[in-house]
Amino acid sequence: MTERDHRDTVSAAQDGAGDHQVTAISRRTVLAGAAATAALSFGVDAMAETPPAAADANLDAFLNLSAALTGIAKKMLAPDTDSLGMGKGYFDFVDGKKLSDFATLLQVTKDANLQIPPPPGGIIAQPDVDRLAKAIADKGDAPKYLARSIMLMWYLGAWYEPSVLKALAKDPKAIVSYTVVSPKAYTQGWLWRVAQAHPMGYSDMQFGYWTRKPEEISDFIEFRIKGKGA
Amino acid sequence: MADDDIDVVIVGSGFAGSLIANELAKEHKKIVILEAGDRVPPNINDYMERFYKASIKVPESPYTPSLFDENGHAFDDKGHPVEDPGKVAAGRPSAIALDASMWSDGTKSYLVQKTEDKDKRKLTPFSSTYDRVAGGTAHWLGTSLRFVPKDFRMKSEYGGSVPEFVDWPIDYDELEKWYHDAEIEIGVSGNVADQSFHGIKFPSGPYPMPQIPNSLTDRAIGKALEKLDPAETAFLGMEQAPTSIAVRGLPAARNSQPYKGRRACAGNTNCIPICPIQAKYDPTVSLNDALNHKNVEMMSNTVASDIIVGDDKLVKEIRYIRYRLDSNGKLVGKVNGSIKAKTYVIAANAIETPRLLLMSTKGPHTKNGVANSSGMVGQHLMDHPYYVAWGQLPMTADPVYPYRGPLITSGIGDLCDGPFRAKRGAFRVDIGNEAWNFVIASVVKSSDPNVTAIDFINGVNRSRLNSDSKALFGPALTDTLNRNLTRQFRIGFLVEQTPDPGNTVTVSKTFRDGLGLLRPEISYSLSPYTKAGIVAAYKFKNLLFKMLHATDFTRVGDDDPSKWVETIDGQQVDLNYTGAGHIMGTYRMGRAEKDSVVDSFQKSHDHDNLYLVGSGTFPTSATANPTLTIAALALRTADRIAKRV
Repeated sequence: MTERDHRDTVSAAQDGAGDHQVTAISRRTVLAGAAATAALSFGVDAMAETPPAAADANLDAFLNLSAALTGIAKKMLAPDTDSLGMGKGYFDFVDGKKLSDFATLLQVTKDANLQIPPPPGGIIAQPDVDRLAKAIADKGDAPKYLARSIMLMWYLGAWYEPSVLKALAKDPKAIVSYTVVSPKAYTQGWLWRVAQAHPMGYSDMQFGYWTRKPEEISDFIEFRIKGKGA
Repeated sequence: MADDDIDVVIVGSGFAGSLIANELAKEHKKIVILEAGDRVPPNINDYMERFYKASIKVPESPYTPSLFDENGHAFDDKGHPVEDPGKVAAGRPSAIALDASMWSDGTKSYLVQKTEDKDKRKLTPFSSTYDRVAGGTAHWLGTSLRFVPKDFRMKSEYGGSVPEFVDWPIDYDELEKWYHDAEIEIGVSGNVADQSFHGIKFPSGPYPMPQIPNSLTDRAIGKALEKLDPAETAFLGMEQAPTSIAVRGLPAARNSQPYKGRRACAGNTNCIPICPIQAKYDPTVSLNDALNHKNVEMMSNTVASDIIVGDDKLVKEIRYIRYRLDSNGKLVGKVNGSIKAKTYVIAANAIETPRLLLMSTKGPHTKNGVANSSGMVGQHLMDHPYYVAWGQLPMTADPVYPYRGPLITSGIGDLCDGPFRAKRGAFRVDIGNEAWNFVIASVVKSSDPNVTAIDFINGVNRSRLNSDSKALFGPALTDTLNRNLTRQFRIGFLVEQTPDPGNTVTVSKTFRDGLGLLRPEISYSLSPYTKAGIVAAYKFKNLLFKMLHATDFTRVGDDDPSKWVETIDGQQVDLNYTGAGHIMGTYRMGRAEKDSVVDSFQKSHDHDNLYLVGSGTFPTSATANPTLTIAALALRTADRIAKRV
């Protein structure tokens, strides 16, 4: 097959071979592309001015805050061997927004001294979560809605500005704009796992799985050590 | 290729165009395809990236021209679509411009939609959309139903009380072989025994792949309809009031096993807008097969603008505009050209084909447009008006676990024909595996699961699931979301629409696209017969939800331009419809030149070397999605052309 090259001079280079080269892509191809885009979209230099030890403490507080509020095990959000780097990526994304309320949120979380239960499970208990949520709310609307923005980022891979969430809470007809953080973030949304499913358009399952019940929800959101789990 | 060598020029590379190109390629015909959109990219990575990043995930989201800016936003700060329909070279309608504030605004909507006709009768939105690359139907669902025999004889069977109905010039028995060939070509998974109802038979052979297994939602609904009180189903107007209604697997062009080099479906729950592993057939498959023949060429970014007819009433050439885009998709150049062949096939869908025919008025014999001696080009625009309903099973019921499997695996077909068709539109039911994903968008300007998640995280109640508007955290949040999301379901009714002469595609007098061509103008509304089909759908929904003990969350938006109020059993009920993406009827086939545009081979009555293909030739709509019938007719047309050229 060749592109037609007669009578007009438009874009011979643009219309080179390739009309026919659609192939079924592999999951790996998509992932590689998604990861590349995600790396570009996270602000990777946002931590430049913070000393390393403090930065680690802040990232750890961010993960504790995220785990407590989302109800998902911290080691599921940020596994020890974390090839996707969502936790660090999301931390840098929020930190890059330079919101003073973020420091407030992290400090409240550090002060809450959250207890992370050992595996199997690893999900922070409801009383601890409620205590943290109340401590955040006591600091005012700004940290309260920022905390919800962070929860939604984990759940949907999308950023809803705290001001948008505040406006929506006051007026359910308010316009809700948002930005998908990155293609990778969409594919790592936790809401789908909470529903014992997978992001639409991104599944690792095989033919016919939908005709059976899924694994228990604990398999999706709790942390198990391989071989020692429940 | 020199022009005088070309056997066939095909305008459009969708289902019909690609299948015809591929069949004629095998017969060593020399073919040139003109495609208005971009060429098919080397792989679908860019499509997937655009889809994942898109803040609005509509059927058009993955494809080009992009609806989105670099942040994945479809609208600018002033609320204008990023893709300006007045500037885009080869535009297309999009679901993002169907909002109450946009659907009839030609500065925002590619389709120029009228709000009233010349008699001041209220018109309503045509809500179906299409894309450009490879015919733009890559975003189809994959359902591949045959019509039932009576669908081809609507005048003979029911025309006494419905004067709009006409018969097809072809019947089921004649088309059956071509249905079978189409099922082999596009790869349909299905079960012959399950699909043998209402006179459908399979003498040419079974489906090439076994059926795709059903979902937990399918089974829950099937169980609810196993035993019914005939007093409660009498309203359906069937021959006998049914005491049970079958939920059947839907035959689909989705692989249930590896087929023709493509994988088996892995249940990505994303058939619309895009299967990430191409387990679902789309026209690029046949297009690529065709382009692997050296006697087939394609010109992408090439918009046919004028069909020239000679004194002998044969088409002499097609003029086109070929355009160039920069890397941001902005139009940076265009040139005019023309192409000649022995035979011409227009395969540009039931809106763009009549637009092209009606734009082509320069010739001495085509003052009313090409192929239009009947005056019927552009008339009888049909869709399957789509009524959707959504609900939730009680917390005491087993979850049905949506967002898993193909988008749709089963449906109800048995209610698509019966004596009631003398009085109201028939319907077919599809059962979604994607919960409230898109249905909630009709009342909340967002989709699910986002709406449900935001409700419980931000303490609001747009879904109506969070009645005390409480914000939840931690285990209380995951538990609540899980219990709610895993019990959500939705159903949809594809309603038969009468072919009304007032539902038209014409050419706008004022609104142009980026190439300076006048855009399609639409007049559309539902007849009382069609609306009565939706009323029956509403009643059936109530029966089903009752049998499921489900809570009904179905709503109609206050500002929904498709809304109307109907009195049903003494109650005022808001009803509405959306589009099924099934654009049909605007160059109908028939036996007589005076009341149809093409014959059963989809050849123009007026011009012996011009074929108009696709669902625009359907004289009546049936309730099955049109794709398999488009494909069967296309294969039959290709066979005819091969013998004649």
